[in-house]
Amino acid sequence: MSIEEGDKLHVVTADDISNNKKRLGKFLVWGSALILSFTLLIQALDTNAVLTIGLETWRPSLYAYVLWAFCLCASQVLTRGEHGKRVLFVLPAALFVISMVVFPLLFGLVIAFSDWNLSSPDGRTFNGWDNVRQMWVDPFYWNALKNMVWYTLVIILEYTVAFGLAILLNSQIRGRKFFRVAFLLPLMLSPVAVSWMIGKSMLEIRFGPISRFLRWLASEPSTDLPSLLYYPGMYIADLAQWFGWASPSFFGSAGIARAMIMAMDAWTFIPFMMIMILAGLQAIPRELYEASEVDGASKWRQFLEITFPLMLPVSITAVLIRIIFKLKLADIIINITSGGPGGATDSVTSFIFREYRDRSNVGYGTLLAIVYLVIIVIAMTVLIKLADRWMKPRY
Amino acid sequence: MKIDLYNAIVSAQMSRRKMLKGSASLGAVAAMGGLGGAASAGAHGGVRAEIMKIPGVGMGSPGDPEWQKVGELCMGPVKERVAEGEFKGVELTFMGLNNQNLHNFLFRGFLKPWEAYTGAKINWIDLAQADYNPRLQQSIATKTVDFDIIEMGAPFEGDTAGQGLLNEMPGWVKDQIEYDDLVGYLQPPVGTWDGKAYRINIDGDCHTFCYRKDYFGTGSITGRMNPPNTWQEVNQISKDVVGKTDPLTGLPAHGFLDPLKGWGGFGMYFLTDRAGPYVKHPDDPAFLFDIDTMKPRINNPGWVQAIQDVMDLIKIEGAYPADQINADPGTTGFQQFLAGTGSMLTWWGDIGSNARTSDTSVIGDVVGFSAIPGSDRVYNHGKGAWENTYNEAPNNAYLGWGVYVTNRVEGDAKKRKAAWSAAAHIGGKDISLWTSAYPSGFQPYRNSHFNYDEWEAAGYDRAFVEDYLGSNLDTYNHPNSLNEPRIPGIFQYYSVAEDELAKGYAGQYGSAQETADAIAVAWEKITDQIGRESQIKLYKAALGL
Repeated sequence: MSIEEGDKLHVVTADDISNNKKRLGKFLVWGSALILSFTLLIQALDTNAVLTIGLETWRPSLYAYVLWAFCLCASQVLTRGEHGKRVLFVLPAALFVISMVVFPLLFGLVIAFSDWNLSSPDGRTFNGWDNVRQMWVDPFYWNALKNMVWYTLVIILEYTVAFGLAILLNSQIRGRKFFRVAFLLPLMLSPVAVSWMIGKSMLEIRFGPISRFLRWLASEPSTDLPSLLYYPGMYIADLAQWFGWASPSFFGSAGIARAMIMAMDAWTFIPFMMIMILAGLQAIPRELYEASEVDGASKWRQFLEITFPLMLPVSITAVLIRIIFKLKLADIIINITSGGPGGATDSVTSFIFREYRDRSNVGYGTLLAIVYLVIIVIAMTVLIKLADRWMKPRY
Repeated sequence: MKIDLYNAIVSAQMSRRKMLKGSASLGAVAAMGGLGGAASAGAHGGVRAEIMKIPGVGMGSPGDPEWQKVGELCMGPVKERVAEGEFKGVELTFMGLNNQNLHNFLFRGFLKPWEAYTGAKINWIDLAQADYNPRLQQSIATKTVDFDIIEMGAPFEGDTAGQGLLNEMPGWVKDQIEYDDLVGYLQPPVGTWDGKAYRINIDGDCHTFCYRKDYFGTGSITGRMNPPNTWQEVNQISKDVVGKTDPLTGLPAHGFLDPLKGWGGFGMYFLTDRAGPYVKHPDDPAFLFDIDTMKPRINNPGWVQAIQDVMDLIKIEGAYPADQINADPGTTGFQQFLAGTGSMLTWWGDIGSNARTSDTSVIGDVVGFSAIPGSDRVYNHGKGAWENTYNEAPNNAYLGWGVYVTNRVEGDAKKRKAAWSAAAHIGGKDISLWTSAYPSGFQPYRNSHFNYDEWEAAGYDRAFVEDYLGSNLDTYNHPNSLNEPRIPGIFQYYSVAEDELAKGYAGQYGSAQETADAIAVAWEKITDQIGRESQIKLYKAALGL
């Protein structure tokens, strides 16, 4: 079948486009493009004080762009008929994406290479690679990046727990539906609520129930207790005191504080991975397990040879999405530790938040965000490539 | 008045009998034509007594009807200067906060009678506290200031007045609001730039020293009869009580509660409380930067001593409660001090009010207040040497809220007069007495607010009001108080200092000096980025030099 025949299959009406229509289409698109260019030029000259029109906003350019986009769409129909109508299914969406993603990204790049402190009377000034040089020697940024490596590595542990829970919920246990909902609850909570309820309340040093419980464990048992209870109590108290639970501190030292942040974030997002893996588990045909049972495979062998390999695509998707979530970790840190003690819990996002919000350092903050975006894009691309290789069937 | 404080007073004192007594006193006072003194002189006396009855102390929280009524009764000064319907057709935009459903909501009520009388219309931009700074900064940076009147804290004057965005206050407004009535620290240069006034004050702010009375006196665990007068004593007490038991809670006793974690820049005020008496020499108006160069003073021996004092306590196990490295000012104030942990603290007035009302407070009966302690010695930055003389430098942290008019009104005389008239109405002398006495979110800030007779006549417990207002008054009028530098980006300096201090407190720098040096380097960068020359100029202007 030729291409023309193929096209005819999808064309409802035969196009008979007159030259006038084609000319009108071209006129519309070039005319509106001219208006857009002219408006942009005028605005640029006005902004740079070459002209003194006094335009307060860039709205004229926006309106000119909308007009051009409308004319471009209309010209497609005028010049290409039915084919043009087909293009209209995609073109407005493409223009919208360009407007809302590509333009802001380009504008973001301009800001990233600018010295722009909102408090500076000079406004934004281009400063070349200065922000990059500043980033290169900024111990706070590198410290935050280092922390992100730790935070991301913990995903391996989170994945293991999520897989275990998913297998548990996939088996025929009593109250399965209840547990499925119950285990999902942390995911429904806002991380801000988690940070207040757990970090600021339950782990509160003096009144928090967890702190009180640990202190109780570390306290010496009453001598009135029978020896059967007293001596184990003493042993537990000694052990608890050895752990430092007589005066528990959850965010006082770097290691423990980081671990607590990891734990809270994990508690919130493990259900997300769990539910994805659970969905994958439910899609594995029963026949495979039945066949392996006939062949005498143990449960562990079934897991290694059937469950895990078949779950690999789902697992990798879950882990990749989890990594993306993890790289945005900020809210719990901002609420509980503000990055402390001494930057031990700082994430890149929480650092950028301080740089941007508290210090109005828009240029440098934007550069940090863009560099982080580039790092994420590269890392995720590499991971996806590697994942593709892993997921190729072994047999 | 802050809501909590109002609740504290009414819950602590108001019986029906007292209420009637208060009302009777008020009535008698009104009949006599005033209470005497500047605060109630002339025709104002009647209005002041009248508004203090709306709705009456302990008669429930006032709302929009009460706000409108107060606004109506206080229209006298407006009517003296504006003819009825004079601003017909004028539209103004007012940007402010919506904290606790007060601020802008309160202003709406106060200004309704003003709108009805003048014919002007006000559009409102209500912002949450957290949104305020970004909204203001973005408006300035993108040149999209879309408000004519703004409720603003003095620290932002550098960003606004310093960049020529504000309109100068006309002389008649000064007369209308009785500008001279302001307490000492709110007098110029605060509220002025290059000698021009911009700010109508509606609030006062300062840090005071809160202490536990049961830690002092005969048989107390500190063995001292009186609370400390100096920071040296504060540190000694913090060391002395280690290992002892808190007399109220039976838990480990602690001394001063330093917030060791940042708080969006606000944590810096607490180190400044400690550093003030070391670094604010009475002969020198500056304490953060050198006036002529903007070279930071944060790493001079005075500031380093303050940081060292904190580090000394960090080293002593038990001097601070566990996990203090993770305690911000909210934690030290509300989760620690009010809950009976620790014996000394510096904070804004909220702690005093919450001490007697909050359900989680256990210290209501044992809390005392005073001005922030002084020091046995002060660092003379000019001479580069310590002087062994007692020095006090209480901290007027944040300076409180004010109302300003933007230069959008310039070129339109009618609109300008309308904007200033509206601002002057809500910052008027009589209306401010009411906002001081009833839940409004604002603290007293005029000398006339400290006429205790008026408060007593309105039904307040005199002892409590004197205790509460007294500690504020001592700070407000102190000749060597620390006032906000008000330069652009001041919270950027504070925020970056918090980051470096956190590293220092966590032991990542070798010493207090190294920590301070790191802050100084970061401050120099900020100054260079914002523009050193303009910062020097604005710093001088802020100091009134």
